[in-house]
Amino acid sequence: MATEAVPAINPIEQFAISKLVPLQLFGSDVSLTNSALFMLVSVGLVCALMLAAGAGGAGIPGRLQSAGEMAYEFIAGMVRQSAGEQAMKFFPLVFSLFMFILVCNLVGFVPYSFTVTSHIIVTVSLALIVFFTVIIVGLYENGLGFFKLFVPSGVPIYILPLVVAIEIISFLSRPLSHSVRLFANMLAGHITLNVFGGFCVMLLGAGAATKAIAILPFAMTIGLDALELLVAFLQAYVFAMLTCMYLNDALHPGH
Amino acid sequence: MPAPRDPDDANLAPRRAALREALAKLQPNDPTPPRAGQPSADASGMSLGLRASSEFIAAIIVGALIGWGLDHVLGTSPAFSIIFFLLGVAAGVWNVIRATSPKSSISPLSKPQASAKDTPQTPRMADDDED
Repeated sequence: MATEAVPAINPIEQFAISKLVPLQLFGSDVSLTNSALFMLVSVGLVCALMLAAGAGGAGIPGRLQSAGEMAYEFIAGMVRQSAGEQAMKFFPLVFSLFMFILVCNLVGFVPYSFTVTSHIIVTVSLALIVFFTVIIVGLYENGLGFFKLFVPSGVPIYILPLVVAIEIISFLSRPLSHSVRLFANMLAGHITLNVFGGFCVMLLGAGAATKAIAILPFAMTIGLDALELLVAFLQAYVFAMLTCMYLNDALHPGH
Repeated sequence: MPAPRDPDDANLAPRRAALREALAKLQPNDPTPPRAGQPSADASGMSLGLRASSEFIAAIIVGALIGWGLDHVLGTSPAFSIIFFLLGVAAGVWNVIRATSPKSSISPLSKPQASAKDTPQTPRMADDDED
């Protein structure tokens, strides 16, 4: 009976997908899941922020307007710096990706919420959007010149096949590293938080003697929370940054 | 407004306006707001650390998968698996070199051609690391 007092902690449980509104369409399952719900919440929050930021137009910006303008300038600067002025036509893509990932990561911090970006299917989809955008834009802008991306200049001819193979593998590894980085960081972060939070609960429930020790995992949880907040921002930043770099490759494949 | 103490002050206002206009023409929009300078330097350092390991591993996995796929299709197991695994390791090292080279904010294999804001940069790294 002693075990009954200690709640079972399953750190993976938080990532379970559950159907909220079952829905079948043309034989496919298109139910509204908790994942889809929190994607909608995130998109709604981003829209609300940007609409609120755009609505005022006050000379002295309020808090929301400042936040919106900072986000805009941050991403616009990043796009110009790493992909050139020409890449500004892809600003909407980079900005949407950054804001969506950032808000999804941050929404995941709210207790009882769901972290959309901790599912690899979501991050892979985002990474593949970028991957195919780069290929299509590269071919459209440069034609076959896009394939110069795989042929570095100044390489002796006898070693060229090897270098081209390496460059192609390097190019194909982009969507993988792009998506797995975001997914793995969010997954690992939330599991760690859950485990330390679970320690805390278990120690509190185990008896009077261990109640005092429960402060240790609690302190750890606070520290980890701060770290995860940083990671949540950094992952969105890295994702947008790499998108800019890949777009730069698509626009300027030669060197 | 109080009258200008100095007669020169009155001349300065239109000059300042003209200067501002000339400046605005030269730099149509400032890419980096001064406030974003310091945090982004820290952030890019940390983001580099987060990138390096995943770039390395991803290339190895992709190389091994290509090799395994070729073996599966051609029935030459394990020749291509071994070759492409090793190529994947090379690509991983190359990815990390690329990510950590001094010009990491712009991928070292390509540089923007007609970017007006190109700061004077060190010449591109020679490509002969692979030899």
